[in-house]
Formats: sequence, C-alpha cells, structure tokens
Amino acid sequence: MTGLIQILIEGVLVGLVYGLVAISFVVIYRASRIINLAQGEVLLFGAYVLWSVTEGARAAGVGLPLPVALGLTALACIAFGVMLERGIFRPLIGQSGFTIFMAGVALLILLRGVTQLLWGAQSRTAPVILPEGALTLGPFLANTRLLIGALFTLALTAALHVFFTRSRLGLRLAAVAEDHVTALSLGVSVRQAIAVAWVLGTLVATAAAVVLLSGSILSLEVAGIGFKALPVALLGGLESIRGAPLAGVIIGVLEALATTYLDPITNGAASGVLPYVAMIAVLLIRPYGLFGWRRIERL
Amino acid sequence: MRPTGLWFETHAAEARVLETRRARLSALALLAVLAAMPLIAGPWLLGELTNLFITLIAVLGLCVTVGMAGQINIAQSAFVGVGAFATARLSGMGVPFWAVLPVAALITGAVSVLFALPAVRVRGFYLALTTLAAQVMFPIIVMALPMAWLGGLVGLPVTPPALFGIGLSTPGRLYWLCLAVTVLAVWCGFNLPRSRLGRAMRAVHDNDTAAEVMGIPVARVKIAAFFTGALFAGVAGALMAYFLQFVTAQNFTLFASVWYLGMLIVGGMHSPLGAILGVCFVTALQEGLHKAANLMLQSDSALGGGAFFALSSILLALCVLAALILEPRGLAHLWHQVMTAFRLWPFPRN
Repeated sequence: MTGLIQILIEGVLVGLVYGLVAISFVVIYRASRIINLAQGEVLLFGAYVLWSVTEGARAAGVGLPLPVALGLTALACIAFGVMLERGIFRPLIGQSGFTIFMAGVALLILLRGVTQLLWGAQSRTAPVILPEGALTLGPFLANTRLLIGALFTLALTAALHVFFTRSRLGLRLAAVAEDHVTALSLGVSVRQAIAVAWVLGTLVATAAAVVLLSGSILSLEVAGIGFKALPVALLGGLESIRGAPLAGVIIGVLEALATTYLDPITNGAASGVLPYVAMIAVLLIRPYGLFGWRRIERL
Repeated sequence: MRPTGLWFETHAAEARVLETRRARLSALALLAVLAAMPLIAGPWLLGELTNLFITLIAVLGLCVTVGMAGQINIAQSAFVGVGAFATARLSGMGVPFWAVLPVAALITGAVSVLFALPAVRVRGFYLALTTLAAQVMFPIIVMALPMAWLGGLVGLPVTPPALFGIGLSTPGRLYWLCLAVTVLAVWCGFNLPRSRLGRAMRAVHDNDTAAEVMGIPVARVKIAAFFTGALFAGVAGALMAYFLQFVTAQNFTLFASVWYLGMLIVGGMHSPLGAILGVCFVTALQEGLHKAANLMLQSDSALGGGAFFALSSILLALCVLAALILEPRGLAHLWHQVMTAFRLWPFPRN
C-alpha cells in the first residue's frame, strides 16, 4: 500500500511536468490555432540558451548571477518567439491548416539542426536552478524539484486561465484560435496574436525545461518530451489551459503504474507506448479532449 | 495547357498520360539511360540511384495519402519499416521472392488501416496525430518484442532475393529490380488520380464535408488512401530490406518520415511528378552537401559528421519553408511553367 501511494505521488509530480509542457502546446494553439509539433525542440532550444548563459558563461569566465541569467533567457525566448512569427508564420496567415501543420514539421527539423550546429550533439550537465533533494511526508518521499515545479504549474495554470478568459487581449486571442479569417474581419490582429502565442509558448516551454532538467543531463534526446506531452495536451483539450495539468496527472499516474506493474512483463515497452495508446483512445472516443471546444462542421 | 496543333482521333489517344510522341520518346530514352546504368556507372552511383528509387517509391505512396487525399501522414517511415521487417521475416521463413513483395505490401497496408481507423471519427491534424503515434510507437514495440520475433535491439538479417534461380543480390541486378518496381510504381502513381478511387480522393481532399454530401463514403476513402499509400511504403520497405541486407528499428525514425514529407512538399504534392522532382532535388542537395562536407573534413577537421547532419536538416527545413511560403505547388509547378515558356517561345507566357 505504501509502495502504491509512493508510485502515485511520483506519477502525479511527473504528470504535472508533462502538464507544464502540454500548457506550452495549449498556449500556442489557444492563441493562434497552430499545433506545433516542434514544441520539444523549442523546449530544448530554451534549455540550451539557459545553459549558455549559466554554465557556458561560467566556463568562459563570465559568471552571471542566476536572476540575470534567467532574465537574459527570458529575453532570448521573447526574441525567438517574435522571430518565428515574423519569419515563418506571418506569411502563412490564412493558409490551410495543412500548410501551417507542415510549417511546424519544418520548424522541427530546422530547430533540431540549428541546436545541433550551435551546441553540438554531446550531452552536458544542466545548471542547478531548483534545489535537489526529497521532502519527507511521513513514510513518503517527494522530489523537491518536481514539487516546486508542480506548484509552479498550478499557479501558472490559474494565471493563464485568468489571462485567457478575463483579459481583453486573451479574449482576442480566443477569436484567433477560432478562425484566422473571421478574426481578421473582426479587426483582431492575427499577427499580434501569433507573436504573443509564440512568446508565451517559448517562455512556458523554457520554464518546463528548468523544472525537467535542473541538475540533470541535457542532450538532444530531451526533445522527446514534446511528443510525450502531445497526448496530454490532446486529452486535456487543445483549447483548455486547465485541462492540461489534469490530463498530465492522469497520464503521469497511468505511466507510473505501467512502469511498475506492466513493464516487467512487456520488456519495458508498456510505459513508452502508453501515452500514445491513450492518445489514439482519446481520438476515437472524445477527439476534442476533456475540456476542448467542440467544433461544428459546416459546409 | 496543351500545345497548339495537338489533336486526337480516338478516345484512347486522348486518355494517354504521355500525350505527344516527343514525350513518349523522351520517357523511353530516359528509361533506356537508366536501364544502361549498371553497365557504365560505378558502385557508388549505382547504390545512390538504388536508394533514390526506394525513396521515390515511399514518397509516391506519401503522394497518394497526402497529395491526392489530403490526409497528413507522418508515419511513412514506420510503414516502410513494417514492410522491411515483414520482408526480413518472410524471406527468413523461405517464402519465394516473388511472393514476398506483395505479401509485405499487404501486411503494411493492414497495419496502416489500423491507424487510419480513427478517420471515422476525426479529421485534419487530429488524424495526423494518430500517424504520429504510429511512428513513435514503432521502434518501441519492435525493440521490446522478443528477440526471436523481430530481432529486438539487434535487428534481422535478410535472405538475398532470387528469381527463377537467379540471384538478385549483386548491385547491378538489385538496381534493375528496383528500377523495374519503380517504373511500375510511377505508372500506378500517374494513373491512380484518373481512377474512381483517385477522383473520390480528390473530392475528399478539396472538401470532405462537400464530398460526403455528394455521396462519397469519406471515411472509407480516407482509409483506402492510407492503405494505398502504405502499399507503396511496404514495397519500398521490402526493397530497402534487400538493399541494406539487415534491418533494425533505428533505420525507420520520425526523422526519415519528416524527410519523406519534406521531399514531397518541395517537389509539389499534387502530382506524382512532384514526388519525382522532389526526391531527385533533395537527394542531389544532400549528396552535394555530403561531398562538400567530405572535402572540408579533408582540408580542415573543424566540422564533424554531426555538423553535416545538422546542416542538411537546416537546408531541408529551409527548402520546405520556402516551398510552403513562396511556391506551395512546388517544383512540379515551376517545371510546368518552364515547359510552357519553352513551348511558347518567343511569345511571352500569358
């Protein structure tokens, strides 16, 4: 019983990290109607920028204080988001969903290539930003890094939810998520929406990178988290900020249970396959997810 | 647009893909040059061309699913992998070569139907996500299955093909085999849009709600599109298995799928001509970069193999983005424009 609860605690904490990555998917979709397959690469890019201004700068002899380094990373994320909007997505406004999806796929290989060219393929130690260690709660242990990340995820969810449902800008973004052409005809700036979406998405992804990687190994394989978070975003509903952490917890707990009970029987495949089986199940049973918008087909 | 002075006296003549005698003659000449390649080319060029043919078959399959039916498929590489593993297993069990190719294709088709079934419920990029799931799950499942089934982490050796007692494993013979299959695949690719299924796929591509209203069974056509595309992938996988002589799950990654899609988009996805031009263009680009990287490696060792891979990814991504933003109809459209200008010269086009 103690073991089971410990597994559940770990599943919930890891699931909330998935939720955080899923939020970065949802933020971009919710503000611009772009499903960005390259989210894992965006996260990786943020992580490498963060590495450069902390560990990299220290190695070069310019040790920056942590808040300055974080500020610089945030600035780089903003510049990156604006650049993506200007260079790739502004010329594609009004194009079909297929074209925009394919632009995301092209972005995936572009970012992977750029990251590999700038930083090389070798793995390195990510900077320690959140404290390592474990919090003891009676007989149970909780990883402090993941715990802080989980609290951050919940706070961010609440803040983003208020932003998207209460603020003027957030409501304008919802119009863009509904339909580009309609939003344009109503005087909503789609360009601005896409820029905001990418800046927010990049910032959230980098925050997720901090929670995920603080003090562990940073390598190109980390980008795989993007594909793991995609089922989470889909289960929560692509338009729902609050759905993402909940779906993250569901997937995280299922994955933790599969790792413990199914992996020994299936040679380690169950936990790897589970998020995608869940994704196909969601698509078959409830394609718009738990809290997504139900779209009506019109001719 | 047809050139002036071209007329037809029979329906059969008008229905030809290659309408003019000059087009037929140039196609024959191209075929003759390609067939003569093993006699003149070295092993490197022959290997590259064989690889190009195999890629072309896979991309033609993608052209059916993505270009003709408008369904995004980012699992083509996994489907090629299914074909390759099926071939390795079947040839290992002593199934004759002439039966392996179609059976591998059918197995691949059956697997693709499994992942196309959500088409009944969802559309657009939601459907693309199920293919993404297929692509990501493929290596995990192959590596986790018992060693005796699909070779696990190590992979499977492939028994060399033989037809009527003649071994087909020498580079030259394998090249001819791939050429023959590619010609067949291209022929199918050009004729499929003119068939009943092709027209139904076109309608679904343009507007699936409208197609449904017109009485086209949309879900069935989408599944058929995936099935047809996967048949090509299965054949490509079988040839690839014979070409590599050893298959592992690491050969069939998401990246390969994205490359297939990139080739199709750069070439132009609405016609098989686009698939051909895209594959040739991207392969030439990649090989050129490879040569340049080799020269640079010899002169100065600052650049590693990783940098070459990174550069080729960046180059392909930029080509795809340029195609999407500047010329969504791809190289095929540019080709048509150049041909029209050439035909009308000295008069301006339009």
